[in-house]
Amino acid sequence: MPLLTADLLRRLEQLQLLAQRRARSVSRGERRSRARGQSVEFADHRNYVFGDDLRYLDWNLYGRLDRLFLKLYEEERELPVRIFLDASESMAFGEPVKFDFARQVAAAVGYVALCGFDRVTILPFPENRDEAVARSGLRAVRGRRSAMGMFQNLAQLTARGAADLNAALRRGAIEARQTGLAIVLSDFLDPAGYETGLDALVGRGFQVDVVHILAPEELAPTIYGDLRLVDSETGAQQEVTFGKYRLAAYQRTVQAFCQRLREYCAGRGITYFLASSATPLADLLLKQLRAAEVWR
Amino acid sequence: MSFLAPMAFAFAAAIPVVVLFYLLKRKRVVKLVSSTLLWQKFLAESQASAPFQKLRHNWLLVLQLLLLILVILALARPFFAGEIKGGRLLVAILDASASMQSTDEAPTRFEKARREALALVDNLTDTDQMVVLLAGGNTEVKQSPTSSKAALRRALQTALPSDSPTRLTEALKLAQPLVRDRVGGEIHLFSDGAVSGLEEFEFEGLNVVFHRVGQRAENAGIVTLDVRSNPEDPTRRALFTSVFNASSNVVRTELELLLDGQLVEARPVELPPRETLPEVFFAGQTNDGVFTVRLANPDDLAADNEASIVSLLPQPARVLLVSRGNRFLERALAAVPSAEVTVVTDLAEAAADFDITVLDDVLPTAWPSNNVLAIRSAPTNWVEITGRTEAPAIVDWRTTHPLLRFVTFDNVQISEALTVVPPGWATPIVEAPGGPLILAGEIGRQRVVWLAFDTLQSTWPLRVSFPIFIANVLDWLNPVTARAAQFLVQAGAPLRLPLDGTVTNAVVRLPNGEERRLTLDPAARELVFGETSHRGVYRIELGNRRFTFCANLLDAPETDTRPRPEVRFGKYAAVAAAEARPANVEIWRWIALAGLAILMFEWWFYHKRTA
Repeated sequence: MPLLTADLLRRLEQLQLLAQRRARSVSRGERRSRARGQSVEFADHRNYVFGDDLRYLDWNLYGRLDRLFLKLYEEERELPVRIFLDASESMAFGEPVKFDFARQVAAAVGYVALCGFDRVTILPFPENRDEAVARSGLRAVRGRRSAMGMFQNLAQLTARGAADLNAALRRGAIEARQTGLAIVLSDFLDPAGYETGLDALVGRGFQVDVVHILAPEELAPTIYGDLRLVDSETGAQQEVTFGKYRLAAYQRTVQAFCQRLREYCAGRGITYFLASSATPLADLLLKQLRAAEVWR
Repeated sequence: MSFLAPMAFAFAAAIPVVVLFYLLKRKRVVKLVSSTLLWQKFLAESQASAPFQKLRHNWLLVLQLLLLILVILALARPFFAGEIKGGRLLVAILDASASMQSTDEAPTRFEKARREALALVDNLTDTDQMVVLLAGGNTEVKQSPTSSKAALRRALQTALPSDSPTRLTEALKLAQPLVRDRVGGEIHLFSDGAVSGLEEFEFEGLNVVFHRVGQRAENAGIVTLDVRSNPEDPTRRALFTSVFNASSNVVRTELELLLDGQLVEARPVELPPRETLPEVFFAGQTNDGVFTVRLANPDDLAADNEASIVSLLPQPARVLLVSRGNRFLERALAAVPSAEVTVVTDLAEAAADFDITVLDDVLPTAWPSNNVLAIRSAPTNWVEITGRTEAPAIVDWRTTHPLLRFVTFDNVQISEALTVVPPGWATPIVEAPGGPLILAGEIGRQRVVWLAFDTLQSTWPLRVSFPIFIANVLDWLNPVTARAAQFLVQAGAPLRLPLDGTVTNAVVRLPNGEERRLTLDPAARELVFGETSHRGVYRIELGNRRFTFCANLLDAPETDTRPRPEVRFGKYAAVAAAEARPANVEIWRWIALAGLAILMFEWWFYHKRTA
């Protein structure tokens, strides 16, 4: 099954990622940037100094003031989009599987970025040497024609091993040459937390969007009785006696967990989305992300 | 140290059960999940992370609190406040008469009375004492004064009803000295109220609480039974019986006559409500046997639906007349068909060959040891003669006595009679103002009829009543008749049988088939057997001799099973059936029981929640 349907792709083509900050990339693109260069958008005037290109002199101003001024234009640059994709073992759970959902979101966001002539880097974590080829093919993808290759590489990924969310985000923030848009796709079920990783992204200057993906079973468990629960990543065991009468208490716990993450994000200007892996993809992409002005 | 309710230690058996519950390991299902992070948070929030938490609505908590409250309540042993503080002495008299076996209460009146008595035991305080008396044919002290509820319950549980008439006099006589002059002394009578003959307690002011049982009187029963020879046909026997219908409806049923278990006759009868219907049967008989009369319809009380009587074949009575010549007497004796009369003028030695001796105004040389009709002659140790009266007027005679059946003393004049002080052994059956004229009674085993006047000095021999009287006398003095009367007892009354001293062992077979082996003292003159509380035929083997006794209810007040609203003591005193009385009713058992139920529910509820 393809990651995204043709119909969805066609609708995604009409979308455009919104960047709240000026692009800082060095590569030319279609984004407005603080850099002055060649475009049709007037930005400012400055005094002529010797050696400036006479083509940019403002002759009208010279006629009025009898002084030489140079017209400056905004340079349009590309927007680097970094997608952090949680490929830990915990993402392999759920019905539908959380990782499949996360890949679809990553593919959609990547496709929108590619259509907007932006550079897309998908960073699956944790490290998996078996998938080194596929993973390297997901770095710095440009151009709409590369979309199919990106989709194929995404499809080859598997969710395995234990993730350190903080370390992955921090490293992704540090190694980025230019800041831009960072999208984190994870279930955030990391015992070590997520705070330092998100802080590192924000501190580096990224505009961060978080899509918090949980499986329906995690939101409302269907298992009851005397249970010994085994953590898929750490192998830790937890004995729980759970009955359907305590479902409401469990749901309060989940909501509190999500609410803490949401408040943390709100405090740092991070856009937060909670998505069940059973959410229809079009609903998330075309309604929720649009309403939150991730793109339009 | 002792315990009020040692039975409560049986609850200790629950301790291992509780321990077992905790020994049981909860089997946990292993389940792989994406992450236990959320579960850890959930447990940390739902379990105590701080020493105190907000009190949340939890049914388990509510149940446990309820349980705790109930246990504490039970330990506090609450009771409903009453007026009596304790230290009472209660005498519980349990009526064990035949009517208490009526099944109008479920299962019987007796069982209901027992339940009420047990409830009374439950309500005793620690300082109260109680006595249990079982009033059947004779009164049995089931439990002497005690405050031990276990002993009282045991005494009540082992009490059994009998087929005997109600005899409460004895029980009340036993109870009266116990409760007299005692504050808080009470007699609790558990009965249906079918009692009589309590006149002697009329002015005693007994503190009696009457617990009435019984609802209705759907009962008919045989109240009299007698067998005699048929005067018209000596080969046949006449059975007189009467049936009383205690209910307010007409009862149509069959009255059956059986001889030794073989049906002789079945007669349909219609019993009017609350009336007695006499019936006479005639039946041929070739051997000594037992006649049984049976009512075919089942009713509330079975004990009075059947009655048996031993019928011995009539034997001719050998009569020795010691007389100086009395033609009237000789003719009268000769007219009795079952008598063989021998006439002598003096009695030189004890007349061992004869059944009856008639002493006609003679003083014999040797006194007879058999039954005696003595006319104006008596040794001084029988009667104390104080003088003579001229022409005593006959003022009264007992028409109900068997000797005076069909006998009247109208137109009888007596010229002279001895005056005697009425002796203790005899009943005066004909009386004049100066003293009795005819006495009848038993001295030891000897039946004696004593006349204070010479019949030839009266007009009596000229009257029709004289030969009838002589016939009655011979019938009454005939040892066969006397024996037959001995062999019919009322249930609860003892059987008495004369012994000749040669037998040392006796076997009594009870109506239910059980046997009682008795060892007899060679010096004993009489066998008395008291275990006759059940109606039926008793057979006794005494050496090689066999006797048959019949015990019957034959008691009209007992057959009349109408529950009485009150117990009457004579004419003026009565005790009405008690309603609920104030008493300390402990309820901790019920609370403890409710606690146990809640504990069970809580266990179930806990598992339902987590399942």
